[in-house]
Amino acid sequence: MIEAYKKDVDRTLLRENLKLTVEQRLRNLMELQRLSEELRRAGQRAR
Amino acid sequence: MSVDYSRFFTALCRGGVEFILVGGTAANVHGSARLTQEVDIVYRRSRDNVARLALALEPFHPYMRGAPPGLPFRWDAETIWRGLNFTLTTDLGPVDALGEIAGGGGYDALLAHTLEIEAFGQRIRCLDIRKLIEVKRAAGRPKDLEAIAELEALVDETDH
Repeated sequence: MIEAYKKDVDRTLLRENLKLTVEQRLRNLMELQRLSEELRRAGQRAR
Repeated sequence: MSVDYSRFFTALCRGGVEFILVGGTAANVHGSARLTQEVDIVYRRSRDNVARLALALEPFHPYMRGAPPGLPFRWDAETIWRGLNFTLTTDLGPVDALGEIAGGGGYDALLAHTLEIEAFGQRIRCLDIRKLIEVKRAAGRPKDLEAIAELEALVDETDH
């Protein structure tokens, strides 16, 4: 079953991440979390 | 709320807390592109370490995530010792402080399957990617299937 899911993995994103340091990966994650929170709040305001 | 990884790791490392980074954040350390909203750690279940964990996080006001405000919850060594796994809100973001994880056990059992990483000026023990896959497989949650597939793709990428 995992093999089926593996076909849909975007490996270009993984290759880009693998070029980064661990700290850069974590900083990107923090940015993504902030963006996700902003979008969630914007969605709440729009309702 | 996002996690302030820099302050979180600094607080734990300066406090001498023995812990292992696991879960989605560990996956990100290995190169995952998936979003995780909290930081998961497995802390060592010794009396001394539990006391250090309590002290290190106390300034950031840990509270049970999802619980109504005002409950008589005290984040201290005794509470941690009597409990095991804590899903918390803190001023640094959502934190899961786990005494053990399904398919992996506790700190001592996991330690041989970790690597040391450096970030934010700290040296942090992180679960290695193969054990991370094993643990996620053991958890058997449908939501982990895509994450496992991505981790296996990362193993393929780094083995070449």
